[in-house]
Amino acid sequence: MRVLASVLRDYEDLGLEELELDDPGPGEVLVRILAAGVCHSDYHVVSGDLPLPTPMVLGHEGAGVVEAVGGGVSRVRPGDAVVLNWLPSCGHCRYCLDGRPELCRQPAVAAQHGTLPGGRTPFRRPSTGEPVYQFSLTGAFAERTVVPEAGVVPLPPGVPAHEAALLGCSVLTGTGAVWRTARVQPAESVAVLGTGGVGLNILQAARLVSAWPRIAVDANPRRLETAQGLGATHTVLAGQGGELDRILELTDGTGVDAAFEAIGRPETMALAFNATRPGGRAVLVGVAPPHVDLRVNAFAFPSQAKTLTGCWYGQSWPARDIPALARLHAAGVLTLESLASRRYRLDQLEEALQAMLKGTVTRALILPSG
Amino acid sequence: MSPFRDSEDLHQSLGGFFDTLTTSPEGQLIHRVGGSILFIFHHPEGRILWSPLPPPGSWPAFRVLRGAETASVEPLLTFEQDGETAHRFWLGEIDLAQALARQQLRATGPLSRAMKLLPHLDPVYPRYAAWVAARPGPA
Repeated sequence: MRVLASVLRDYEDLGLEELELDDPGPGEVLVRILAAGVCHSDYHVVSGDLPLPTPMVLGHEGAGVVEAVGGGVSRVRPGDAVVLNWLPSCGHCRYCLDGRPELCRQPAVAAQHGTLPGGRTPFRRPSTGEPVYQFSLTGAFAERTVVPEAGVVPLPPGVPAHEAALLGCSVLTGTGAVWRTARVQPAESVAVLGTGGVGLNILQAARLVSAWPRIAVDANPRRLETAQGLGATHTVLAGQGGELDRILELTDGTGVDAAFEAIGRPETMALAFNATRPGGRAVLVGVAPPHVDLRVNAFAFPSQAKTLTGCWYGQSWPARDIPALARLHAAGVLTLESLASRRYRLDQLEEALQAMLKGTVTRALILPSG
Repeated sequence: MSPFRDSEDLHQSLGGFFDTLTTSPEGQLIHRVGGSILFIFHHPEGRILWSPLPPPGSWPAFRVLRGAETASVEPLLTFEQDGETAHRFWLGEIDLAQALARQQLRATGPLSRAMKLLPHLDPVYPRYAAWVAARPGPA
């Protein structure tokens, strides 16, 4: 079938194209995309900071409806509302069995190649038959996509697609960083460096476990205002120097119990480590380019016993955690409405990316069906 | 243990294989990088540089410089690794993202320009394995 998709033709070169989409093969699912969030990870691919093969259909934070299933698919059927899971783990490797599916190598290797786990991509250019790769086994900036069965998570009823899409990445990542990786406890202090889509969900998750104070750090005053609405008790305008001093002042000179970096820059990663109290946890959530190294003080590890760690996809188990987050939203506990602040058509991806970079949107949403 | 006896062996062996790439279809990929690529090796020490030869489509696609002669060209991209990592990379046995994460491989410059070539290297790996098998020596 033919579908419209926003295609990264080469780095920094995006365009709308009509592509041929294969029918779902055994163990695969055809999903009509209703909404897809625009994430910094998408931009990292556009800029080449996350180097992946091109041409590629971007978009990984998606929600939609199952239209068809391939042979052997049993967990979903046509008509089901689903969220895309961009890390469909194999379920039987050492990491999956250890309860760490986000570390499973199978989807990681497929994602590096821009394909499904079997090594093929479902998208092709009709005129030449040239394969068009698929970002993170999803490719959500398209009218429809084909993903593995484990790449969809059925949704409980009542969550609109434009909110459900966010559960597929930014909400799962942010909440997981707080609840699973840092395991923040009530009355612990937190600092969040970078208040984009993931950072706001880190703040929201910290609020839900009664962390205090919750310090938001960002160079964009508008984002800091949004952060206050989602849980920040204090804000620090970055980019003028003194960010570390300000965080130390707000924590009686000791540093925070848990610091989160949600930007992906080595400077702010080091700041997160330096702003953490002795014995505390610094969690790196932002994605730096794969060849970038980080410089932190070596003596601080034995002398201050800090933990420096990171998390991928919020250390989550999407099939378990996405429905749980949807239930929290339905109960009025978890905010989704104010996170998705503007909607764009498929041909407006460039505009949506620019709005995200300028910080004029909380989370831009692409609605492939218009 | 390094598969290369010494710098001379590395320059001749790996450099010789790179020479074969200059006239292969994959050799043209260097024009998509837009500049020279310097490989710095340790254990044994060595330097090999690919310098593109315009225009795209002509042969050979690039020059292979070795050792001190690499200093004559300013590289766009640099990959630094030990000899064994390089050997395993060209055998297709290295997960690049993992190697970067473990600092077995250090890259400087616009990495994305090289990374987009990776999907096209699959036919090259068996040719390197055949090159190694046909070569006298420990590797």
